[in-house]
Amino acid sequence: MILRPAHAVLAAGILVLVLWPQALAAQGVQYERPVEVAPQQESIGGGYVTPPVQKPRPRAYWLEIADVVLLAGALSLAVWFVVARRSRVLALSLSVGALAYFGFYREGCICPIGAIQNVAVALTDPGYSIPIVVTAVFFLPLVFALFVGRAFCGGVCPLGAIQELVLLKPVQVPRRLDWWLGLLKYVYLGLAILIAVQPAVARDFVICRFDPFVGFFRRDGFAHMMAIGAGFLVLGTVVGRPYCRYLCPYGALLAWCSRLAGRGVSITPDRELDCGLCADACPYGAIEQNRAVGKDCLYCARCYASCPCETRVEVRV
Amino acid sequence: MSDGISRRDALGKVARGAALVALGSTAGFLVRKADGQVVWQVDANQCVNSRLGESGTPVCNRCTTECVVSHSAVRAVNHFEKCGRCYICPAYYNIRSAVDERGLPSEKLCPRDAIARTPIGWVDPDDPANNFYEYTIDEVKCDGCGLCAKGCMEPLGLGSIVLKVRYDLCVDCNRCAIARTCPTGAVVQQLAADALSIDWPVHPRS
Amino acid sequence: MTMRYRHTGTLAGRGSGDAHFREGLRALAFDARGRLHAAGDAEVKVFAASGALEHRWPAAGPVHAVGIAPDGRVFAGGPGQIEIFDGDGVPLAAWRDPERLGLVSAIGFSNGDVLAADSRGRAIRRFEAGGRFLNDIGLQNPRQDFRIPNGVLDFDVDAEGIIHAANPGKHRVERYTPDGRLLGHFGRFGGPDPAGFSGCCNPTNVTLGRGLVYVTEKAPPRVKVYAMDGGLDSIVATGSFDPGCKNMDVAVDARGTVYVADTVRLSIEIFEPEGAA
Repeated sequence: MILRPAHAVLAAGILVLVLWPQALAAQGVQYERPVEVAPQQESIGGGYVTPPVQKPRPRAYWLEIADVVLLAGALSLAVWFVVARRSRVLALSLSVGALAYFGFYREGCICPIGAIQNVAVALTDPGYSIPIVVTAVFFLPLVFALFVGRAFCGGVCPLGAIQELVLLKPVQVPRRLDWWLGLLKYVYLGLAILIAVQPAVARDFVICRFDPFVGFFRRDGFAHMMAIGAGFLVLGTVVGRPYCRYLCPYGALLAWCSRLAGRGVSITPDRELDCGLCADACPYGAIEQNRAVGKDCLYCARCYASCPCETRVEVRV
Repeated sequence: MSDGISRRDALGKVARGAALVALGSTAGFLVRKADGQVVWQVDANQCVNSRLGESGTPVCNRCTTECVVSHSAVRAVNHFEKCGRCYICPAYYNIRSAVDERGLPSEKLCPRDAIARTPIGWVDPDDPANNFYEYTIDEVKCDGCGLCAKGCMEPLGLGSIVLKVRYDLCVDCNRCAIARTCPTGAVVQQLAADALSIDWPVHPRS
Repeated sequence: MTMRYRHTGTLAGRGSGDAHFREGLRALAFDARGRLHAAGDAEVKVFAASGALEHRWPAAGPVHAVGIAPDGRVFAGGPGQIEIFDGDGVPLAAWRDPERLGLVSAIGFSNGDVLAADSRGRAIRRFEAGGRFLNDIGLQNPRQDFRIPNGVLDFDVDAEGIIHAANPGKHRVERYTPDGRLLGHFGRFGGPDPAGFSGCCNPTNVTLGRGLVYVTEKAPPRVKVYAMDGGLDSIVATGSFDPGCKNMDVAVDARGTVYVADTVRLSIEIFEPEGAA
């Protein structure tokens, strides 16, 4: 931190107040003010009118609702672009759009990853409630995941989108390592919930505080967090979406729901090609034995883009 | 074969249905006790820089240093209807500084020079001490350091300057970083309607 | 500086006992027999010179000012009224005037007239002995008025009947004739200089005794003594009060012992002079 003259004056001011020749005052002094001591307009005269105090309003509530509608729309688009149209180009465009809106415009807030903490507190603390918008943002992607897998990760999540866009030379992570690292997100989920449900004075929302990418979205943040974010992006040029696969606590929840999904991204090698190009193309290790693994599939549609079959493959339900 | 497939499918459907019911009922429970839109605000009754009677304690500037936004979303706000419009304002001037030839303190308190002092109403051309002065805080320069709020606090001043979160600047974090470190827990979440309407620390009447 | 003072005792305090105050201690005054009248709450308490509670009687409302007339009657002022008691506390009369007696914060006597400071109207009102209003003091023109951001207007009357009033917003003590003419003033904003007055509005309270002017200040609370010409005579006390005190009333007895009301602890702090330097 560069020391400026302003800091010296601030320190001097604090010092002056500290050296004020008084002991610490009694707590909770009640002051009486039996007369109105502030001069009124009439006393001041000269045509003076007391100016109003500015009260900037928070973001309009209907815009919050609009965000939920947009979220649902983006989720639906992700399903259509990837599962129905099987187009990587469309999926990528959706990612860019989501990054622009949910990421840089809305600055990453509110997101379902952080909402885990709010929901956890709302369930455990009888005095704590969350707005309906937060509930909707939390549950919508999970409901989608229950039916069609991690559509949220592919088309909507700005943290995922920013990592998706920097993935230039994907390197396959060895299976064992991938599995062990994947456990980290369950640990993080547990820790985050544990710290969030503490009593209000000790409560902390670590997912939000240690979000590596929010500093980029806000174009502003603590230096160490920006550095960590940059580190994730640098790693993300070769390792596919490291935060999503190994740290994201919401990814843990989506993975659970995706296991139960019936539809979604699927590979059906019944045109006996078995070339395995899709498995090589998938940077997330989501294809095993030429079958898509719902819980790891992040809806990038690289498998479809790499498939040499001219015609579309039948979707087996 | 088809039996096995349909049994697996049936199990899948049942599992999905059960999960859906679980998710739905949790969501329903949360919606039932839902709040309106909440925002963060500084409770001046608790804020160390505004709390009645604690003059002498050092000023707390965590509203400036802890906010995740570089130029903090907290500003000092002067509630004009409660301001004494004094000739020598302990929030504007550093009243411990030496007195200059005009009889006013020589130093100003605000490190960013964000307070403007203008005579208002009927102005006495001969004696400036006879006038009332309006003290306006420039919110572009202010960063919520709290020195003026501390200078205005009772009993030194009238307590018309308090720190407030400005909603056009606040990014509305899930857990406010200032709230986390506030020494008296003065930064609290309020319903947006309340946060805009409650803007005055209550002075108990005798 | 000619005199040093020592803190020698404390009377009363916050509490519910007879000699304690429950929610306010706002006025101190000595009568001719050297008994201290202290008022706050809705009551007037009389302390003997030894410090023991001698007598107390209720008032109709919260008492903000006490004045002892030359004939011994006790005047207790409050919101909208002045109540008059005899020396033993028997109620004699009450003057009610919500316009002119918005909040009576000080009472004095000058050549048979009764003077009452109205904090709401920011002026001193002069009444005849019977209660008829005569004139205002301090309202000559719109801007020569009393500036009281601290909320209390205090004054005292000297032997010639001249009113010495604290004008805290202007950092000075002003002298008026009972007709309302400003004779002069002393005091200035002093910043760190203890000979001047600090903060936005000091001194808050003033009393006269032994040819000297005793004033109290707030933030930080202190008690000082000035000569009539405005020269600083001595600083009675700086650290003996709760730092949150505001508008501390002060009274001086015939021996020069200073009694100050601590408005947070609701106690009366006693300071005795240690002899001339």
